[in-house]
Amino acid sequence: MTAPMIASPSQFLGLRIAPPLPRFAAPTSPRSATSLRSPGISAAYTAAAERRPADALSPAAPSPVASLYDVLGLPADATGQEIKAAYRRLARASHPDVVATDRKGTSADEFIRIHAAYSTLSDPDKRADYDRKLLLLGRHRRTVRRPTTQPSSSWAFSRSPSFPGYGRRTWETDQCW
Amino acid sequence: MMAEQVYTVASDSETTGDDKVQFAFPDLAIGIDIGTSKCSVAIWNGTQVELLRNPRNQKLMRSYVLFKDDSPSGGVSEELAHGEQEIFSGSAVFNMKRFVGRVDTDPVVHASKTLPFLVQTLDIGVRPFIAALVNNVWRSTTPEEVLAIFLVELKAMAEVQLKRQIRHAVLTIPVSFSRFQKSRIERACAMAGLHVLRLMPEPTSVALLYAQQQQQSLHENMGSGTEKVALIFNMGAGYCDVAITATAGGVSQIKALLGCTVGGEDILQNVLRHLLPNFDTFCANHSMDKIKAMGLLRIATQDAIHKLSSQPSVNIDVDLGDGNKICKTLNCSEFEEVNGNLFEKCEKLIMQCLVDAKLTAEDINDVILVGGCSNIPKIRSLVLGLCKRENLYEGIDPLEAAVCGAALEGAVASGISDPSGSLDLLTIQATPLNLGIRADGDGFATIINRNTAIPARKDMLFTTAHDNQTEALIAVYEGEGKQVEDCQLLGYFKITGIPPAPKGAAEISVCMDIDASDVLRVLAGVILPGTQSTVSPFIEVRMPTLGDGHGWCAQALAKMYGSTLDLATIPKKLQ
Repeated sequence: MTAPMIASPSQFLGLRIAPPLPRFAAPTSPRSATSLRSPGISAAYTAAAERRPADALSPAAPSPVASLYDVLGLPADATGQEIKAAYRRLARASHPDVVATDRKGTSADEFIRIHAAYSTLSDPDKRADYDRKLLLLGRHRRTVRRPTTQPSSSWAFSRSPSFPGYGRRTWETDQCW
Repeated sequence: MMAEQVYTVASDSETTGDDKVQFAFPDLAIGIDIGTSKCSVAIWNGTQVELLRNPRNQKLMRSYVLFKDDSPSGGVSEELAHGEQEIFSGSAVFNMKRFVGRVDTDPVVHASKTLPFLVQTLDIGVRPFIAALVNNVWRSTTPEEVLAIFLVELKAMAEVQLKRQIRHAVLTIPVSFSRFQKSRIERACAMAGLHVLRLMPEPTSVALLYAQQQQQSLHENMGSGTEKVALIFNMGAGYCDVAITATAGGVSQIKALLGCTVGGEDILQNVLRHLLPNFDTFCANHSMDKIKAMGLLRIATQDAIHKLSSQPSVNIDVDLGDGNKICKTLNCSEFEEVNGNLFEKCEKLIMQCLVDAKLTAEDINDVILVGGCSNIPKIRSLVLGLCKRENLYEGIDPLEAAVCGAALEGAVASGISDPSGSLDLLTIQATPLNLGIRADGDGFATIINRNTAIPARKDMLFTTAHDNQTEALIAVYEGEGKQVEDCQLLGYFKITGIPPAPKGAAEISVCMDIDASDVLRVLAGVILPGTQSTVSPFIEVRMPTLGDGHGWCAQALAKMYGSTLDLATIPKKLQ
């Protein structure tokens, strides 16, 4: 009687990451007086379209939505220094250690995506490889995309109850004692 | 100050600045460095990190538990210190960080059989038997219990001083700890009533402190904010770790991490064997007078090694009883020769870490040396030599750096911000060991490579090894080997309901997720080939799931199922 679950793995993986808004992408104002954990950052990230996990996990394959340069908010001719600086700035805004508690689950996804972009673009060989692929596809846009909105119902469905938007419970599966 | 008074309930002590912070952040985590030999506690006091002192005014306390009559005690808060001879009398258990989560086939456990308490092994892959001498009876204990007793005392000490309950802690651990060992540390903390907010590899904790110092010096002279690369070498009594960190703007990114079980205890044992060639047999029978003699020799040798850091030679003169006397002069070159293999291991570790970070010695801006062994001239010279440097980084206390970093992480992870910006810090941790599953026979298929930044998530497709195979075993391993027998089994679970098909046709997706607190979850299930649809609900398991006797699980599984539940990897181009 059980019908097969029509749920793509990406829904389990909960990959739901928006490209950074220009406000964070702008390569200016690196360190200001504001704290890492300043409120209000969370508002800047909204849900974007679902994407296949492979896109986020294998950075060599350009995603249909945003290039790795878009993820870091950089032009395609950005220098290595600019890439590092952008990565740090975005890490400080998205890493689960520094974001508000209610965003911990999604911020891990954001960070993983930012880190994937960084690790490709900061390695000269991988970057050259990636640039060639972009050129072949001929679809790299310099503009940073605005995040697209999507119905809230599909947002709710896109996450399994515990993976990965969980809290930390150390007692739960400790069966040894 | 007036406003704070309102919250000062049931306390007749004066309200200090520290109290103010404590009230503002009632859940602020403390940092604990529970070392093989010494341990310490530190906390962010609102403006800086402060190490707590015990009633004997010590910041660094010896890690041991003395079993005496009915009350085991770690001597943290006692007015009078236990004497060296009492600690080495058989009644005290120490070096427990070396035992945590190890089975009785582990060489590290075997090397510890010369310690002056009882370590018994049956060599079958279960936990070793450890016991302390109480009223002439060997009383059993476990590494977790010993650590928990000690942690309870540290917690009580902190609670008295901070005048509040302590619930959360950040602990430092060696890089080479497996996830199973980490779970045993968490267990010890749970027994002591502490919730572990983070387990930080020791050198990454030092990296966080370094990042804070760089950030502060930047504030002072308005520097350019360029990236600085530091190599951190940490060698304590039980473990040796290396980390390379790239720091800029308060963000410390761990480029590579490597560790091994080599420490001051091995140096001590090498020298003991040099002084007394039949050392191992001498220790074997654990009689009272032999334990006493071993204790005396240990004290004298430890003392000699410390002196060799500042003088060219040292005399050792110990009466072991039964006409057995050791009277020897030990000089530096002899000491270095005796420990030659150990120093070589340290060199290899540093070189491998540089390779892993894809850096050369010329890329290193600062060399940071920490841990109890950092005073040994040979260690200093070999680290500096490999990094092609003249001087070590100054401004970090080699014995306090790890606990200070843990306290900083405690403040950052507790969500505390500081108006001056000195907590605007972030460590991007890396996972120190490969993670994967058993596939292609007894092969280890890595899913998350070591030195991957965390949080991390990777998935990989596997397929069946037999025609019409409907079930498959996901056996999760961690380690550096190419074969699973060289890796640590973390846990396993079964995937069922694979649609019957020729071998190699089914697609089984295995996803590994490490969150920012370093919790590993494995999610696996069958997907319909060529689609993204799942056949039945996926299974999610938090690792490790194994308890004691995990050495046996892999054998038991092989005996029961042979290769019937095997998986095979799918060539990358088809994934």
